[in-house]
Amino acid sequence: MSKELIGRSVQRRTILKAGLAIGAMQVASPFVVKALAKEPIKIGLDNPLTGTYAAPGRNEQIGCQLAVDQLNAKGGILGRKVELLSEDSTSGDAGTAVQKARKLIERDNVDFLVGNVNSALAQAMAQVSNEKGVLHIVPGGHTDGITGTDCKWNVFRVCNTTRMEANAVCGLLFKDYGKKWYFITPDYAFGHTLFQGCEADLKKLGGTVVGNALTPLGTTDFSAYLIQARAANPDVLIVLVQGNDMVNCLKQISQFGIDKQIHVAGTQQELEAVEAMPPEARVGVWMFEWYWKQAAGTPGLDQFIAEVRKRTDGKVPTARTWFGYVTIHAYALACEKAKSIEAKAVARTLADMELPPDVKLQPNKVYFRGGDHQLMLSAFIGELLQKGDGDPENLFKVNSIVAGDSIAPSVTDTGCKMNMPA
Amino acid sequence: MLQLIFFNITNGLIIGAFYALMAIGLSLILNLSGVINFAHGGFLVIGGYLAYTLTPSLGFWGALIVAPFLTALIGFVVERLLIRRLYGRDPLYSLLLTFGLAFIIEDGTRQIWGAQGLPVSVPAALSSPLSYEFFFITGYRMFMVATVAIVVGLLFVLLRYTRIGVRIRAGTLDLDTVAALGVNVRALRSLNFAVGIFLAGLAGVLAGGQLGLEPTMGDSLLMPSFIAIIVGGVGSLTGTLLGGLLIGVASGLTAVIFPSASEAVIYVMMAVVLLVRPRGLLGEEGMMT
Repeated sequence: MSKELIGRSVQRRTILKAGLAIGAMQVASPFVVKALAKEPIKIGLDNPLTGTYAAPGRNEQIGCQLAVDQLNAKGGILGRKVELLSEDSTSGDAGTAVQKARKLIERDNVDFLVGNVNSALAQAMAQVSNEKGVLHIVPGGHTDGITGTDCKWNVFRVCNTTRMEANAVCGLLFKDYGKKWYFITPDYAFGHTLFQGCEADLKKLGGTVVGNALTPLGTTDFSAYLIQARAANPDVLIVLVQGNDMVNCLKQISQFGIDKQIHVAGTQQELEAVEAMPPEARVGVWMFEWYWKQAAGTPGLDQFIAEVRKRTDGKVPTARTWFGYVTIHAYALACEKAKSIEAKAVARTLADMELPPDVKLQPNKVYFRGGDHQLMLSAFIGELLQKGDGDPENLFKVNSIVAGDSIAPSVTDTGCKMNMPA
Repeated sequence: MLQLIFFNITNGLIIGAFYALMAIGLSLILNLSGVINFAHGGFLVIGGYLAYTLTPSLGFWGALIVAPFLTALIGFVVERLLIRRLYGRDPLYSLLLTFGLAFIIEDGTRQIWGAQGLPVSVPAALSSPLSYEFFFITGYRMFMVATVAIVVGLLFVLLRYTRIGVRIRAGTLDLDTVAALGVNVRALRSLNFAVGIFLAGLAGVLAGGQLGLEPTMGDSLLMPSFIAIIVGGVGSLTGTLLGGLLIGVASGLTAVIFPSASEAVIYVMMAVVLLVRPRGLLGEEGMMT
C-alpha cells in the first residue's frame, strides 16, 4: 500500500517538474528573429476578461476586434496587417495587469498598448508603457489623474474623466431635483475623484452634501447604507457605485421604495448594468458616455450597430464597445497621418486630432486635447426607461447630447503638465 | 439615533440569516469530510443560474424548489468523482481542488450564461416594503428569513432525530469509530456533501432574487460564511448559525457609526475571536487542529 503510494507520488512529482519546466520555457523569452519589413502591426489589449469587470472588458475587446478586422479588410495600417493580442488583466489585480503589460511589450513586441477598464490598473499599466516608450490608450478607466496630475506623453484616454461626468449632470440635478444631496460612493480612486467633482459642483451651485456613504467595492447588500441615506432626508440620492454594485444598489432602492420618496440619480450609467437590472430598478437621471440609439442619419452608426450585432448574438454596442472601436481607429488614423508607427510621432499626431464622423459616431466635435491627451467626447444625458422603447435594448431616453469640451475642466485645472520628449 | 440602531440591528439579522444559510452548508461539509469547500460560492452561483433557466417553465416557486435539488445532484457527482479521492490526505489537497473548481465554475457560468449580469424579478406579492416606516423590511426579505428559518429548523431536526442525522453528528466527533461500527462512511459523506451543496443552491436562488445574477456573485458571499464558522466555532452548527447572525448585526451596527468599516468589522471580529477564544464561541476544544 505504502509502496504503491510512494511510487505514485514520485510519478506525480515527475509530472510536476515537467510542468514547471514547460512553464519556465514559456517565461524565458525566446530569441525571435526580427521578421521582414511587412510583419504585422501588433496591438496589445490588457483588459479584464474575468471578474467584476468581465462584461465591460469583453465589450471593449469586441469593439477593438471589430476595428482591427475593418482595418485589415482595407489593407491594414500603412499597408501592414494589424494583429490584436488579448490578455486577461483580471478585474482588480494591478500586479497581474502590469505583468501582462510587460509580457505584451517585452515578449510580443506590441507597437501599441490598450487598457484598462479599472482606473487603478490603467494607472499601473501607464507606468509600464511610459517606461518602455510605448503608445498607450486607456479605453475605459475614468479617474482624473490619468489625464490629470499623472498625465504622460504616451498615454491618451477615450472615456470621460470623473470630473467631466460630474459636470455633465450636477447642474441639471440641482435645478430639477433640489439642493440637499446624499451620496453612495465606491471607496476607491474612481469614487473619490467622482465624489470630489460632484461636491465641488454642488457647493458652487449653493447646495449641501448631507452625507456620503463610502462603500467597499463589491458590496452586495446596501440596506445599511440606504437606512442611513433615508434618515438624512436628502432631496436627491446620488448613486456613484458602478457595475454590479450599481445593479445591487438600484435594485434595493426600488425594493425599499426609496425612489418613490427621494429623487434617485447619478453620473455614469452603463447599458451593461441597466440590462442586468429588473425593470422596476431602472430609475433616475444619468449620463451615458455613448449611446446606440441616436438621431437617424448619424454617419456610420447603423453599420456599426449591425456589425456589432453580428458578433454578439444580436446585442447592441454599448459605450464600452465604442471605446474599443474608437481606440483602434484613432490609433490607425494617427499612424496613417504621421506615416509612421513610431510612438512619439504617433503621439504628436494624436494630440489635437479630430475624429471623423464614421469613427466618432455622435454629434459635436470629438477630438483629443493636446494639453492633457483627453478625448473630448459628448455626454448623453437622460433618463432610464423601464421597458425597451422600440427595441428591448433601448433602455435610455436621451434628453440632450452635450459637447465634451463644455463639461471638461481647463487643462490647467486638470493639473496636467505634459512633457513631450523631443 | 436609537431608531437608526434598532433598524440596523433588525437589518443585520436579516443579512445574518442569509450568511448563516451559506455557512451551515460549508460547516456540514467541513465537519464530516474535513474539506474546506472553496467552491461553495460556485455552487451558490450554479443554484441561482439554474433557477433563472428553470423559471420560464416552472415559475418562481417551482424553480425555488427544483434548482437546489439539481445543485445538490451536481454536488453529489462532484463529490463522487473528485472530492472523495482526497479524503484522508492533507486538507490542503481538497482546498486546492475546490479552489480550482471555484474558478472553473465561475468561468463555466460565464461561458454558458454570459459575462453580463442577468436580472431576476421576484413575484409582485413579495416585492414591496411592508410599511413606509420599516421600508427596509420587504416581503422578499421576510420570505428569505422565513425560508432560512424553516430549512435550518428542518436540518436540525434531521440531525437530531433521524438515524442518518445521528450518524453525521457522530461522524463529526469520531469518524473512525463510526466506520468501525459498520456505518457506510463513504455513502454518509456523499449524502452529507449533497445536503451542504443543497443549502448553497438554495442560498443562490434566494440571493438571485435579492441581488440579480452575476458569475462572481459567490465570491463576496463566501468570505463572510467562513468567518461565521470561525466566529461560531468549528464543529458546531449552532455556533455557525449564531456566528452568521452576529456578523450580520455587527456589520449593520458599524454602518451607523463608521460606514466604510462595515465590511472590515467582520474580519476584526474574527481576529478578536481567534485571539481570545480560538475555538470559537460554541466550538469544541481541539476541533480546529
